[in-house]
Amino acid sequence: MAAEPAMEAQSHQLTKTSVIPKAKNKIRTTTGEKIFNICNITLLLLLCLVTLYPFWYVLVLSFNVGIDAAKGPIWFWPRDFTWDNYNYVFHNPMIKSAFFVTIGRAILGSLFSICVMLLAAFALSKRFLPGRRMILYFLMIPMFISGSLISNYVVMVKLGLLNNFLVYIIPGAFSFFFMIIIRTFIEQIPEGVEESAMIDGAGFYQIFIKIIVPLCKPILAAMLFFSIVGHWLDFGTNLLYVNEEKLYVLQYVLYLVVIANKGSDMINLMQFSGTVPTVKDAVPTPEVLKMSTLMVVTLPLLFVYPFFQRFFIKGMMVGAIKA
Amino acid sequence: MKALKNYYVLYLFLIPALILTLLFNYLPLFSNIIAFMDYDIFAGWMGLGSKWVGFKNFAFLGEGWFYELLVRTIYYNITILLFSFPASIILALLLNEVSSNLFKKISQSISYIPHFVSWVTVAGLTYIFLSYDNTGLVNNLMTTVFGTERAVYMQDNNIFLPLLIITQTWKEIGWGSILYLAAITMIDPQLYEAATMDGAGRWRRMFHITLPGLIPTTVVLLIFSLAGLIGGNFDQIFNLQNQVIQDQTNTISTFTYYEGILGARYSFSTAVGLFQGLVSFILLYIANYYGKKTSGTSII
Repeated sequence: MAAEPAMEAQSHQLTKTSVIPKAKNKIRTTTGEKIFNICNITLLLLLCLVTLYPFWYVLVLSFNVGIDAAKGPIWFWPRDFTWDNYNYVFHNPMIKSAFFVTIGRAILGSLFSICVMLLAAFALSKRFLPGRRMILYFLMIPMFISGSLISNYVVMVKLGLLNNFLVYIIPGAFSFFFMIIIRTFIEQIPEGVEESAMIDGAGFYQIFIKIIVPLCKPILAAMLFFSIVGHWLDFGTNLLYVNEEKLYVLQYVLYLVVIANKGSDMINLMQFSGTVPTVKDAVPTPEVLKMSTLMVVTLPLLFVYPFFQRFFIKGMMVGAIKA
Repeated sequence: MKALKNYYVLYLFLIPALILTLLFNYLPLFSNIIAFMDYDIFAGWMGLGSKWVGFKNFAFLGEGWFYELLVRTIYYNITILLFSFPASIILALLLNEVSSNLFKKISQSISYIPHFVSWVTVAGLTYIFLSYDNTGLVNNLMTTVFGTERAVYMQDNNIFLPLLIITQTWKEIGWGSILYLAAITMIDPQLYEAATMDGAGRWRRMFHITLPGLIPTTVVLLIFSLAGLIGGNFDQIFNLQNQVIQDQTNTISTFTYYEGILGARYSFSTAVGLFQGLVSFILLYIANYYGKKTSGTSII
């Protein structure tokens, strides 16, 4: 125990000394280094531009009147501003239901998945548990060999998961990789904490609820985020196992509008049912409808992501050390 | 029995994970046997009452189209990997050399964004950028800057592979760099100090300290990507394809989707899928072997 503060002091010193050469660099930057710096920053700025401009371009066009957009190129700013394209997107009954399905699966699916993984991770963190190695191997083997597209499909059909909301939640709930990351985190908790609770007469269940769950909050936040992202972006499950319109998820609706070109059918359908204005100028062309739909499906996650950034970077690190 | 009595809570905790793995990992693995049947989904429990036909469904192994498909699958994936894999390393090196912490943080955060976007969105962006009419950015650029004719890019199978490379790199370059940046922070700062004392400039420090320090991480990540080499990319290829170029751009995974699920040829596509699994496993094994040999790192 006594060695620890000493080590800490040493590492502190290390970081201190490592700052010094950097400071030196700043004092005598040669022309070569200056050029290097300028090139480096230019390249990174270019990368940021290439990353952001596609979104900006689509956003701009999605706020432009469709017929006007077809007349000539638009680069940075809407030429003929309108909200009507979004009006159509939000009145699209398919999008509305897809929002509910996607949010529902993201919440329920993530919670279920985290429960399953946390329970397993806790049990597998106990090195004294008889049969632990065998169970670990049993859970690990599917990382390396797995069924094919069709054999998965056949199993889903036979389990009655076709056109069933549960297909979004149950099959993907357990991930060995993420479970190991959680387990690594649990193993870092000092053993004394659990031991003293044991002496006080707490069983595994109490330890799990009263100690492990509260202490694991940071890693659980990271996992929750990864899981929600996974649910939000998942397109394959819908494509393979669901063909009932009321169970479509957002990504699939986006696929229908943007890639399968069903946009104009939807416009006609909505006009027919009279839920949206049908004035000539207010009707979006399929092109701008694509853009506004793309924005509505894509942006929510991009707004959430910065808030979770510090969690998932940490989560990735824990995983990386293990790997 | 004593273990069961003492630790029954822990075993109970494991049950959900075990059941899920059994149902959704082992059962599909087992149902690969339909490749050796003339599968009828309604014959008996799980369709296991279907007729056994031996290797009849593997007749594709003697036909030219299958090798064309296999070669294309591997060719696509290796080419994509060849470009997108080093891109992340280069980005990590560039980010590491930035002296302003704020700028580093901002550009890092921006570079992660495309990772949080689905392949449907990426393909959608691609369609929008390459469209023929006036909303197509690439056509707009080409006509204004170079004065060329407008072109129908999405129906040209020659640019399909470049599109795959560009979209993959665009989407994952930032996310891929996280682990390298983590590895860089682990490199002993004393090495840099010593090198600076000896008069090494930034280039030499980068090439002789940072880059060698990244080798273990690189090998592990490379093995992982080689393992997923011919199975992955379904979403990407499926969404970027269209009917005009479908036959020239199919890979094994999209092919099994069209034939197996849309065409309901279950046994045949399972056989193709099984072969794909076999090739993946061999690739993983080879990659792992060479990884161990060259740098002492391996994943299995």
